[in-house]
Amino acid sequence: MNYRLASIDKDYFADQRDERYSVIGSVVQRSDAFGHVTGRTEFFEDQAPARMLHVKMHRSQRHHARIRGIDVSAAEAVPGVVRALTHADIPNNLYTPLKLIGIGPDDEPILAEGTVRYLGEPVCAVVAETEAAAYDAAARVAVSYEDLPAVFDVEEALAPGAPVVNEYHGHNYFTYEGHHCRRLRFGDVDRALATADHVFEWRYQSSPIEQAPAETTGCIVVPQPDGRLRIHSDTQACFFTLDNTALILNTPPGKLRIVGGTVGGGFGGKVDVAVEPVACVAAMATGRPVKYVYNRYEEMQVSSPRAAERIYIKDAVMNDGRITGRQIRFYADAGAYSRHSPYAITKSAAHMPGPYTIPNVWADCHCVFTNRTPSSAMRGFGVTILDFALESQMDRIARALGADPLQLRLINAYRDGDVKAHRKVAEGTALVEVIQKAAEIVGHELPEDFRRMSSASREGA
Amino acid sequence: MVVEAVHVPDSLAEATAQAARGGHVMAGGTAVMPLVNYGIVPGPELVSLRRTGLAGIEVGDGTARIGATTTFSEVADSPGLSVFRPAVATIASPVIRNMATVGGNLLTDPPGDFATCLLALDATCEVAGAGGSRDVPVAEVIDSGLRPGELLTAVVVRLPAGANWFYRKVTRRRMNSGAIMTIAATVETAGGLVTTARIALGGLAPRPVRAASAERALAGRPLVPDVVMEAGEAARADVTPADDPFASAWYRNRVLPVHLRRALLG
Amino acid sequence: MASQVIALVVNDEEREFIAKPGTSLLSGLRDSLGLTAAKRGCAQGGCGACTVLVDGKAVLSCLLAVETINGATVRTLEGVAADGQLDEVQSAFLDGFATQCGFCTPGMIMAAEALLDRNPDPGEDEVAEAISGNHCRCTGYRPIMNAIVDAARRRREARAAAGAPARVSEEVA
Repeated sequence: MNYRLASIDKDYFADQRDERYSVIGSVVQRSDAFGHVTGRTEFFEDQAPARMLHVKMHRSQRHHARIRGIDVSAAEAVPGVVRALTHADIPNNLYTPLKLIGIGPDDEPILAEGTVRYLGEPVCAVVAETEAAAYDAAARVAVSYEDLPAVFDVEEALAPGAPVVNEYHGHNYFTYEGHHCRRLRFGDVDRALATADHVFEWRYQSSPIEQAPAETTGCIVVPQPDGRLRIHSDTQACFFTLDNTALILNTPPGKLRIVGGTVGGGFGGKVDVAVEPVACVAAMATGRPVKYVYNRYEEMQVSSPRAAERIYIKDAVMNDGRITGRQIRFYADAGAYSRHSPYAITKSAAHMPGPYTIPNVWADCHCVFTNRTPSSAMRGFGVTILDFALESQMDRIARALGADPLQLRLINAYRDGDVKAHRKVAEGTALVEVIQKAAEIVGHELPEDFRRMSSASREGA
Repeated sequence: MVVEAVHVPDSLAEATAQAARGGHVMAGGTAVMPLVNYGIVPGPELVSLRRTGLAGIEVGDGTARIGATTTFSEVADSPGLSVFRPAVATIASPVIRNMATVGGNLLTDPPGDFATCLLALDATCEVAGAGGSRDVPVAEVIDSGLRPGELLTAVVVRLPAGANWFYRKVTRRRMNSGAIMTIAATVETAGGLVTTARIALGGLAPRPVRAASAERALAGRPLVPDVVMEAGEAARADVTPADDPFASAWYRNRVLPVHLRRALLG
Repeated sequence: MASQVIALVVNDEEREFIAKPGTSLLSGLRDSLGLTAAKRGCAQGGCGACTVLVDGKAVLSCLLAVETINGATVRTLEGVAADGQLDEVQSAFLDGFATQCGFCTPGMIMAAEALLDRNPDPGEDEVAEAISGNHCRCTGYRPIMNAIVDAARRRREARAAAGAPARVSEEVA
């Protein structure tokens, strides 16, 4: 095998001339690879405790409805069924995962209570001796619904008269410090737009994106002789899961032990505490090991994807390519519940207006509730789709001005010492050098004055 | 419902009897087992055809008889069926082709790419039931399925000459992908003019369909781009495409003539 | 009909277990025989993580009802390095960084083994086709394809050095 090892570019990183590295520049075998190629790596589902029970979930068949009744009698009559669990069996049924860092309110039930707010929401968990019996029984749970109006579009959800998705918020947006959105105010965008040579406004829209890990979300919970629960999980966040599960079970964290760290792909999709609480309750109720794992359909249908985002960007642009003002209206579809979205939208706001120095910035970033599958973490959530929009905007401006897209970026790139829209001073910037290097590598010719630009000064910009 | 029995009969007679008693028949298992694994059990008793001896390929006299449980890997490996190799290579992946069968591809809902080939070739299906066996045109099997208790035992197909055989599957991914559309056709010409054309289209209706309008548009005319595009436009009358994750109905309608042209003229 | 005794030759050992009707080979291997290398990624035939060799052919173990293959010969990843010695495919995956999360790896390796049994010198397209039923969400496939090409080369060289024919299909024979 030939490896192309990246050397340190000393043209730019003059301070890094000392090369006494033991890892950088050498080939280091992954510590887990031997287990992977021999099939010995233990994933959570490779556990096979004796007398293990299986959980399957009866899920909401409505987008938004009041639950009139849940009849588990037919489910419990299936041979091999041990228990059916509803919200009444969960000690603290209402939660939100980011309460650990003080984000609230609790807005999501572990098992639906009174209302379902999205198609596929967990309603009733069936615990059975075999997977087949659990499937059979879960299909026989009978739920009667009274349909409620549903809303699926972020802007419709914020319009007056829209049905309220989540009563715990009282309106279809997450509240940031008393405001209906995360706001960014810097300079005077209205004035910049009024005095600009050009104003460009475009709209960007993404769909939800499923992480689709090779291994589906799941756990096996094994009651221990000392009364603790040992949770074998593929969570991406062992202690986050442990603490949230402890709160939901109303039990001291020390009563739980998580065995994890081996994750068959996560990409952000395995941080939502999706299966552990129900599996723990089932294990406590039966005193037996319990497995609760999503099938592929559940993974695609109800595990939380990257949020769909809609982004309007309106820019004030001068003939010489300077962007003097940027106004952004940003809507992220959180789905029916908060999960990690309030944090994602804060990240979005923090990322605006992109790696450019723009003297006037105005942004309203909305975390919107709709009757869609709750969205949550996925690889750079809050930032990736925004970057798609911001960089598409840069390309479109360049095209509209008949300008070179890299030169446009170099003119506007942030430099060390610039004050960003959040009033933080930029330091350690390297965008100028990265663009110059990229241009050189792909043979994109830049004029001499653009090649001489530097992140250390605004000279020539 | 849970599975209460999986029968693996050793003979066709036994399999037919078990099917007649209501057993749900499976061949390769690639369509039935996904349901079973998710608790969506098609019937309490499954009847596997794996040991019924229905697999096998006989080629002779320009005709092939392909046993119903012949896998696609066996079709691909058969020297006598080399004309089908490009088509078979578009069906799922090698691991699936080691399991999935010609009969299953025809009787699954919707019927698959090989069924589209068989339709273009006017294949004949050999069907066995409690009352004996009968031959049924493949078009009828695609449209109406079999009668309760009947089993497909083989398909008999006149092998096309390579020069007269056209196959094109349009996909989002290069390999292992569902069809945006599948086109299978036999076209014969004499003196530069089309004498017979049989065109089957998959992925453009609930089941593979014959593009009779396109066939008529080609009859007696030269096989040139303008004529084929015209035939492709006529074929829109023969299809009822739907939206699915691979493509929209609008897109399928829009690109049908282009892909027919590429199928027949490269 | 009640549960049934299933007898298989798994990784050269005769193994028996009792299976409920409709049990998949994947479930039999994992839950009854304790062979957990083959993974359940979808149980739908869509991901390839459960790929094993049955009578020498790469198949999806989640789609085989065990009753239908009673008596068959099965090889899983556990049987590839049974003597503790990595084979060429495994070592090429190891050296070529062809694993990340590792969940698809057992299926990928078995699909590669089946390919190399049939074709000791596959081209890139043939490698791509051989693993086209195996999903990897981490690597982007490039290191996996490189590793399989590399494994083929290692195997050819090893066989040439040992004076043995390049193609060995003991399980097919």
